[in-house]
Amino acid sequence: MSVPSPAPAPAPVRHAHPNYVGIFVGLALLTGLELTVAFLPWPKRTLILMLVGLAVWKALLVALYFMHLRFERPRLRLLAVAPLPFTVILVVTVLMEHFGK
Amino acid sequence: MATSIPRTGQGGGMAFGGDAHAHHDDRTFLRKYIFSTDHKIIGIQFLLMSLLFLLLGGVLAMLMRWQLGFPGQPLPAGGGMLPETMAARGVILPEFYTSLVTMHGTFMVFFAIMPLLVGVFGNYLIPLKIGAPDMAFPRLNMASFWLAVPAGFLMLSGFFVEGGHAAAGWTSYAPLSANSEYSGVDMGQKIWCVSLIVLGLSSILGAVNYITTIIQLRAPGMHWFRLPLSIWSLFVTACLVLLAMPVLSGAIIMLLFDQTIGTHFFLPPKGGQPLLWQHLFWFFGHPEVYILILPAMGMASDIIANGSRKPIFGYTSMVLAIIAIGFLGWGVWGHHMFMSGMNPTLGTTFMISTLLISVPSAIKVFNWLGTMWEGNITFHVPMLHAIAFVSMFVIGGLSGVFMAAAPVDIYIHDTYFIVAHLHYVLFGGSLFAIFAAVTYWYPKMFGKLMSERWGKVHFWLTFVFYNCVFFPMHQLGLQGHMRRIYDPNQYEYLRHLQPLNTFISISAFCLFTAQIIFAVNFISSWFRGAPAGNNPWLDNGLEWTLPSPPPHGNFATVPTVYRGPYEYSSPLVEEDYLPQDRQLPPSPGAPRAPARPQPPLMPAPHPSSPTH
Amino acid sequence: MAHSLAAVPDVMQPPPDREFGAGVYNEKVGMWIFLGSEVMFFTALIGSYIILRVAHPDAWAAPGKMLNIPVTAVNTFLLICSSVTMVKAFAAIQDGNQRLLLRWLIATVLIGASFVGVQIYEYTHLIEKGFIPSEGLYGSTFYTMTGFHGFHVTMGVLCMIYVTWKAFRRKYTAQDHRGVEVIGLYWHFVDLVWIILFTIVYLI
Repeated sequence: MSVPSPAPAPAPVRHAHPNYVGIFVGLALLTGLELTVAFLPWPKRTLILMLVGLAVWKALLVALYFMHLRFERPRLRLLAVAPLPFTVILVVTVLMEHFGK
Repeated sequence: MATSIPRTGQGGGMAFGGDAHAHHDDRTFLRKYIFSTDHKIIGIQFLLMSLLFLLLGGVLAMLMRWQLGFPGQPLPAGGGMLPETMAARGVILPEFYTSLVTMHGTFMVFFAIMPLLVGVFGNYLIPLKIGAPDMAFPRLNMASFWLAVPAGFLMLSGFFVEGGHAAAGWTSYAPLSANSEYSGVDMGQKIWCVSLIVLGLSSILGAVNYITTIIQLRAPGMHWFRLPLSIWSLFVTACLVLLAMPVLSGAIIMLLFDQTIGTHFFLPPKGGQPLLWQHLFWFFGHPEVYILILPAMGMASDIIANGSRKPIFGYTSMVLAIIAIGFLGWGVWGHHMFMSGMNPTLGTTFMISTLLISVPSAIKVFNWLGTMWEGNITFHVPMLHAIAFVSMFVIGGLSGVFMAAAPVDIYIHDTYFIVAHLHYVLFGGSLFAIFAAVTYWYPKMFGKLMSERWGKVHFWLTFVFYNCVFFPMHQLGLQGHMRRIYDPNQYEYLRHLQPLNTFISISAFCLFTAQIIFAVNFISSWFRGAPAGNNPWLDNGLEWTLPSPPPHGNFATVPTVYRGPYEYSSPLVEEDYLPQDRQLPPSPGAPRAPARPQPPLMPAPHPSSPTH
Repeated sequence: MAHSLAAVPDVMQPPPDREFGAGVYNEKVGMWIFLGSEVMFFTALIGSYIILRVAHPDAWAAPGKMLNIPVTAVNTFLLICSSVTMVKAFAAIQDGNQRLLLRWLIATVLIGASFVGVQIYEYTHLIEKGFIPSEGLYGSTFYTMTGFHGFHVTMGVLCMIYVTWKAFRRKYTAQDHRGVEVIGLYWHFVDLVWIILFTIVYLI
């Protein structure tokens, strides 16, 4: 009697290589932008917001294109972002120690 | 010789693992039993290591109980053998007492309970119960164990260094732990840090293995909602280990740097924050306690269903409760810090989240009761321990509700009320579940049955003495008896509690002695136990379809799973159990091949007794 | 049995004869899970830095006053380059090109090692200037975060050397290059952490 086998894995989506050099140029430009912003004579909070935003943008580029998350299945993307809520919980809660007083 | 799984491409789509191991096993003794990549051997290695540390943790507790029960008295029979740094002519010194308190907690949490639940049963059960030949990364698994061993030796070495072992509590609060001028302990405190960093790496690598294995290597038909609750709980536990232990590692590294290279993370003079240590530690520490209870709950579920000859009541809600506990557990850590001076608003938030988290645990308790209700109960030794687990866990959980209320905690924090609570959940909960699980899976591990009679004697003695030791501690705490104290009699208002302390200590010595029965049962059954056969408990799990012990590579052919693991007393078959991989012939008139097996109806208790 | 020999399982897919799982091969799942733990590790270090700095901002000098931004900016650029060479190596073996795989991997090793070298150079200069871990909160957090990042880069370089050696021995093919993808994921992660660190340690 034949054993039923599980559904075969769907074939992976074959996509052309992303434009790695293009991403690299983007990262270099963003880094240059960061270096400029860091020394602007603006209020510290504005600078921090902008710099963190730029850093996050760069990080997303690396994660999505170099680590191929843009092209992976949703399950794997879920796996990849799973730790982030806990990071937020720890840092935000302990910061409230300072801000709440 | 396939040692990593799965090595595909060998024979074109053939059932992997099986064919390679149907032939003779030509590994050397060293490869087979010492540096083994076989998850079953690694599980047993963790078992032997952890049981030794459990014994050590118990010995340390006995020394503490001697001082509390018979304060200022020289230790009987050999107390003079202790060096003068620990005991002045047999009388335990206060500094050594503080070390005992610290190391009892450290050894029990990190080297006994955690590896017993996760290292032993995570390793042993996961591949077997999901139908896999081994873990996803067998060599990494071996590395996990062989990292834990030096961590253990390192931790032991702290007793022999100048200044003695760590003495800042198992929670190692800064700045006491960060500055040897405050604690009087230098090397010991550093050794504590390094040992746990190494152990942390071992645990994290193990967690990677467990999670990958459960996601990737489930046999055909083993859908997520057909997994046994032991596996669900080990899965969520592994996720907790994966995400919580690194935070502890980071915190301990910062503490070690404060101790050695002069950094200022937790030392106030240059801006360091002691509260930062507490937040980091408990952010790890609270998921840690769920790591210490979830696998116990999962295995208790398997055993209670088996002992009741009934499906688990409310399987789906059990799974959701495990996930809820795993998730909510990240938001309650501040309840360990109500008295720390942290922001009171934060305190209120933590109080609410802590009260909330009792709900999924309560759901589980009711489901265990529902499982047993009108079941055809067999009170075998694992079932006895599992029932004790449920009842003792309820007591521990209830005391937890008291301390979750921050205003109440003002009075009971750092008293013996807390000690009672933690021992009710860790001993009454986790350890009874461990006794249940060891007895239950011992036949599978070693091919022999443990003695049922001596198992029952051990159970009853342990249960009685355990309650004699820990229940009175609630009373001690409510009367103001604080934790970690060498000499409560220095306070006049505590002196009337001395008889209670002495009673507890005597009960503790009896409790410790009773464990000899378990140890002798464990060892002698290995040599002289009755042969176990494949399935002595008439359980449905996949491991019980294999010989005891299972061969290297586990399954000769990949099993196919048709149902969940709790089909006890099913109307579909005459026996009162229905293994997961047993294929039933289609009933006449039924559709030829149902798209999915239908969920079974809740059966009435089967009137006939189980066949043996 | 019904299995035909022509149906050789694709190792770049999830294991055959198993439930579907994550939809990719085991080692990839394992590496992503491991990276999850690394996120939490750096959370402890970086989170502590944020918390300590918010509570005590005057323990820190203005950007550029103590730390050498030009040199570190170059170093950042280097690390990003190494991520590009890494992903080019992966693309090469995806297409079956052994020569290019080897060249890009060697480039990654060299650039990665340079990054560590520049870091050590930076450390020696800072220590000469009197900026040491025991200096205060600034020194404590700076050395711990960048030090452990550097440690992770070093481990990455060592693993990369191993992978390069295997590539030299033609152990990777277009059909099976799991090791290249997996070390790549680790390497990009280390780059990602640096992107965060450079911004919040040097520029803020």
